[in-house]
Amino acid sequence: MVIEVNNVSKEFVSPKKYPGLKGAIKGLFSNEKVRKMAVDDISFSIEEGEIVGYIGSNGAGKSTTIKMMTGILTPTSGQCLIRGIDPSKERKKNAQNIGVVFGQRTQLWWDLPLSESFSILKEIYNVSDEDYESQMKFLNEVLELEEFWTRPVRNLSLGQRMRADLGAALLHNPKVLYLDEPTIGLDLVVKDNIRKAIREINQKYKTTVILTTHDIEDIEELCSRIIIIDDGKKIYDGSLENLKEKYGVTRKVTMEVKNLKEALQVDLSSDLNVSKEAYEVTTDKATNSVEVTFDKHCLSISDVIAQYMKRTEVKDIQIQETELSEIVKEIYNHGMEKETKQSEEGMVS
Amino acid sequence: MKKGRWRIYLPFTLNEIKSNLAYKGSFYLFILCSCFGAFISYYLWMAIYGSSETGVLGGLTRNEMILYVFMTYVTSNIVNVGVVGYIENDVREGAVVMNLIKPIDYRLSLISKALGVVVYRFLAPSIFVWIGLEIYKVTVLGMKVVSVKDALLYLLSAFFSVLIYQLFDFCFGLMAFVTTYMFGLKMAKNALVGFLTGQLIPISFFPEVFQKVFDFLPFSSMIYTPVMVYLGKYSGEALAAVLLRQVFWIVLLYVLGTFLWQKITKRLIVLGG
Repeated sequence: MVIEVNNVSKEFVSPKKYPGLKGAIKGLFSNEKVRKMAVDDISFSIEEGEIVGYIGSNGAGKSTTIKMMTGILTPTSGQCLIRGIDPSKERKKNAQNIGVVFGQRTQLWWDLPLSESFSILKEIYNVSDEDYESQMKFLNEVLELEEFWTRPVRNLSLGQRMRADLGAALLHNPKVLYLDEPTIGLDLVVKDNIRKAIREINQKYKTTVILTTHDIEDIEELCSRIIIIDDGKKIYDGSLENLKEKYGVTRKVTMEVKNLKEALQVDLSSDLNVSKEAYEVTTDKATNSVEVTFDKHCLSISDVIAQYMKRTEVKDIQIQETELSEIVKEIYNHGMEKETKQSEEGMVS
Repeated sequence: MKKGRWRIYLPFTLNEIKSNLAYKGSFYLFILCSCFGAFISYYLWMAIYGSSETGVLGGLTRNEMILYVFMTYVTSNIVNVGVVGYIENDVREGAVVMNLIKPIDYRLSLISKALGVVVYRFLAPSIFVWIGLEIYKVTVLGMKVVSVKDALLYLLSAFFSVLIYQLFDFCFGLMAFVTTYMFGLKMAKNALVGFLTGQLIPISFFPEVFQKVFDFLPFSSMIYTPVMVYLGKYSGEALAAVLLRQVFWIVLLYVLGTFLWQKITKRLIVLGG
């Protein structure tokens, strides 16, 4: 087990703020504190070589968990063990084994040419000359750093900087790689390159990767397993297929028909003997198309299409399964409903 | 491993020297402003000595006072290089995170950076002002040039001062993690340091009781001690005692800093997501 997270919680305490000037003065004399459970009793373990997507809505506690796993924050209770090391107790020892990319920040030296940042990192992580050379060769292949090797970091584009940052996190060939939104703000081509690089590194060195992202494509392309957290609590941990199986049961069939009136005569509930709740039909006059959304456990795609083809001439068919993004959105919304309820209950002003 | 440790922090020092060289304008302004300060206090003291009848004030002759004023300038230039600015920046921008993911000691990396500034300030302007002062001493005041022994002792004591100041500043700067905004506190600290270090008025001018209190605080070890060492005011056991006191403060502030850092990281809150 490379990573073990056992019942970790993190509570933030901050002084209570009141609105307005009056409130600001009141704040000077009040000693009230606001407590927030950013991470609430989370446990999971990750094997060597896994790429795990760690997802959740904004403020769900993803970054806080990552910060505890890297030793930046100390858990209020519980313990993280990274390769047997507790990062909150032995931060420096742990840091030698890990690589971290925070997409919104850089660990490179802003005013220095990229090459110098790398030679400083070489010293910091105590990388030998041979290791440095071979690793740089590999990183150059996958990240193409030569292009901007001698330019100061402040002059790099976001995509270049992100590649450089990923390279910097990998220079000492860490066993565990934390990526906090590594593709944020990047264009499609660069995103693709970054993903390719992550995959190659994972395959070559069996690096364990933990990835937080809001980009569903990152997850679909990279992760075999995902952990979803919401409001500080873990709400899903398992394979991607499993999640889709569990939540992604709806299918959508869009058919372009020759005659919309004929198509509207189709009544799936009586023809196929299912309840009306199992499906939903919408029509679009502009494109002459019918859209049927249904639960795949109740209806089969072929039956639905067959019914329509019986009545009318179908010119084009599109079948969509629920996208992961829809599933995730669903899960987030669910969590959010809960939250609004809570805050409504507790609201006075 | 010990050898490797220092190699890790060297780039921080070199880097800081480089970026200081990059901002020439601010550097010249800095020299100009602090020079003004030195000359103002020079003329003030000369006026005071001019109206005094004894010629010796607070145990210092007029000539010694000239040396005191300018050596204080030389010393405070290299000693008053703090780390609080770095900490404040790191905290406000949330950059402290990027320091904590590396297998380095945060305090050592800050001090290494500050030492870069110290080296730079020593080369320009401190060493030149010092040389200028020696020339003035010989040609105008008719005194002997400083002995090699006194110069070396001064440098040793000043080096201790640099460490004391930075270790103190680190402890002070950790408050940035609590308050996140340090402007007022920094102003208060500068005023206090200017007073208590003897930068404004030599400590020997204060009443006996105050001198005792000042002796008890680390500040007198920051600037007053090396300058008095330079002036040759200590000898034998007294000299050993003041140097030992400096070492004592280095150790104490180091331990205190370690302790506070451990406390602070327990309740660290990172700004900016």
